[in-house]
Amino acid sequence: MSVSLPEQLPARSAPRKLATGVNPYAPAQARIMRVQDLTSEIRLFDLRFTDAALAESFNFRPGQFVELSVLGVGEGPFSLPSSPTRRGMFQLGIRRAGTLTNYLFDHVIEGDFVGIRGPLGNGFPVELFEGQDVLLVAGGLGMVPLRGLLHYLIDQRDRFGRVMLLYGTRTPDQVLFREELESLARRGDAEILLSVDNAQGKPWGGRVGVVTELLDQVSFDVTNTYAIACGPPVFYKFMLEKLVARGFGRHRIFLSLERRMECGIGKCGHCAVGYTFTCLHGPVFSYWDAINLPELIYT
Amino acid sequence: MQTLRMNAGLLSSFLEALKAFGTLVAPVERSPGVFALEAIDDVSQARPEALRTILPFKKLLLKPRFVMLERRQGQYGADGADNDLGPVVYFGAHSCDIHALRILDLLYLSDYVDPYYKRNRDRLTVVGYGCMPDGKCFCQSMDTSTIDKDFDMFLTPLDGRYLVTVNSARGDDIVRANQHLFQPATRRDVQEYLERLKEREKAFTLSLDVTDLPYVLELKKDDPVWEELGKKCLCCGSCSMVCPTCACFNVRDECPEEDSAQRVRTWDACLYREYALVAGGHNFRASRADRVKNRYYHKQEAFVREFGMPSCVGCGRCIENCPTGINVVEVFQYVRGEA
Ligand SMILES: Cc1cc2nc3c(=O)[nH]c(=O)nc-3n(C[C@H](O)[C@H](O)[C@H](O)COP(=O)(O)OP(=O)(O)OC[C@H]3O[C@@H](n4cnc5c(N)ncnc54)[C@H](O)[C@@H]3O)c2cc1C
Ligand code: SF4
Ligand code: SF4
Ligand code: FES
Repeated sequence: MSVSLPEQLPARSAPRKLATGVNPYAPAQARIMRVQDLTSEIRLFDLRFTDAALAESFNFRPGQFVELSVLGVGEGPFSLPSSPTRRGMFQLGIRRAGTLTNYLFDHVIEGDFVGIRGPLGNGFPVELFEGQDVLLVAGGLGMVPLRGLLHYLIDQRDRFGRVMLLYGTRTPDQVLFREELESLARRGDAEILLSVDNAQGKPWGGRVGVVTELLDQVSFDVTNTYAIACGPPVFYKFMLEKLVARGFGRHRIFLSLERRMECGIGKCGHCAVGYTFTCLHGPVFSYWDAINLPELIYT
Repeated sequence: MQTLRMNAGLLSSFLEALKAFGTLVAPVERSPGVFALEAIDDVSQARPEALRTILPFKKLLLKPRFVMLERRQGQYGADGADNDLGPVVYFGAHSCDIHALRILDLLYLSDYVDPYYKRNRDRLTVVGYGCMPDGKCFCQSMDTSTIDKDFDMFLTPLDGRYLVTVNSARGDDIVRANQHLFQPATRRDVQEYLERLKEREKAFTLSLDVTDLPYVLELKKDDPVWEELGKKCLCCGSCSMVCPTCACFNVRDECPEEDSAQRVRTWDACLYREYALVAGGHNFRASRADRVKNRYYHKQEAFVREFGMPSCVGCGRCIENCPTGINVVEVFQYVRGEA
């Protein structure tokens, strides 16, 4: 199977339009088809656009995100943990964090409608990964955008070399998509290593320790591998330099930045990091580009 | 482009005629020496020579607060009529103001076009007016002291008359509807205009050295100068509010009545503490030093990288309005280690 993705246009070029409407601030209506708790704090929502044509045509790059809103409550950016190889439906993995997310947990049920704007941001440069080995490293909620990329790679398995995933969380019950990942590993579609900081006495077949240590358990050919890292600031702080220490060129490492966002389309200014707007030039940056931003990525 | 002349005594007839093209907005003197941009009916109130109005024309394109989307009795509305200001004729725009308009166009009309901005922008008529700088103007350094596009008409005051530049088809419409006000410019008019330009270029007293400024900033990103500036800056945001090119905004949802909801957009400033705050309490720019530094970097480095020019037009509004006397020109002298 092979899908074509929306082109990665350079920022500040030709006028463009969002799939969800001509007015980039006005969301398209989508229906919550299924709700599933991934952990006590993180919930997976399956969504489908009410407009049938939009539902079928909605295409995005792994690593892009959408703005989800409930008018009267608020709006926020969320990564897409689903893959454009699977059309019709898309998913969001949402953590309880504040006004909007609390509302989604406490008041939104299957069958309800929400607003969606997108897809937004640049996404991962997946074209580069073709014929190469791909190493995904995730920390905590960073698994959400990487799961979309993982599905994308697996669904077109023959276009890529080895697919490896190193994923760390604090405790075993915080591992997102655990059964699915275990099944992928059993099938041999991906090499998957999991770690937790603390097993808390629960049955745990993975490693106990910080996620960076998983890097020592795999060998790879750094001239033929891209590393994609996604996690909280402290994860980046240790993981990125460790990848460099293992021989990765900084242009072979990609990461996704998180910043305060309001508009998602490069207008409101909130997501600025140094000279870039995270929502428009990012959220995906090569490590080389990120490290050269005047405002450091860890802060 | 077309060059005409108009007798000074005809200015009020001209302004009356402009009303046919939209709501006439011009600087008026609110209290001695303090000017504001306001819709006027009595054309004698217009004070186009006023150097800076407190708020710049950006308020004619995007209101400080407006409803973007709303739901009323179950009906979804997305037209944002709240920010629909109708056709506006802006009289008294200076060269720096028009450059600022171009900067806002770059931001709001590139990539995803902002429909709320565009609606008002498409119906904005810009009639410029030649000014004489004071001690807070440094547009000459920013390369914004003259303008040759993005306006409809431009009046430059000469002795007893105006040199009138017509620069768009809409400007031409205005002229054709009011032929009796204009005559072809003579060689003497043009000569006097050129002399005035020269005189104006000499009148600047403030200057900012922009040589390699983005690179200098890059080199100075960890300099203690930013900490010191952070101690002086109150992060009150006045400099952003009055800046013609500062255009950040915030979006909040409100429920004014039962069964109605609104998504409201308000002016915002990167100097405010909450600007980069995210859920869970993490603030990407928690210190005042980080925030004030961001404002300068955004204008003089980020915008240059992105659009090829800084997003400061040297209008001097921030200098005039900072309660603690922070002056951009001095800041950059300081950054260069020259003060
Ligand atoms: C590119 C990107 C991808 C993201 N992906 C996910 C995801 O897949 N799953 C998930 O659970 N969370 C994700 N987040 C974080 C998520 O957007 C915030 O947790 C959410 O906006 C909080 O909204 P709230 O109303 O519940 O919180 P509040 O604190 O009440 O939010 C108030 C305001 O701040 C803004 N805001 C708060 N936190 C953030 C933040 N971290 N990033 C951007 N804006 C913020 C909101 O938009 C809102 O305007 C992502 C953030 C970004 C920038
Ligand atoms: S006006 Fe002056 S004190 Fe206020 S935020 Fe701007 S620089 Fe700081
Ligand atoms: S930064 Fe100051 S001088 Fe420059 S355009 Fe803005 S208000 Fe005017
Ligand atoms: S979120 Fe508004 S500019 Fe990026």
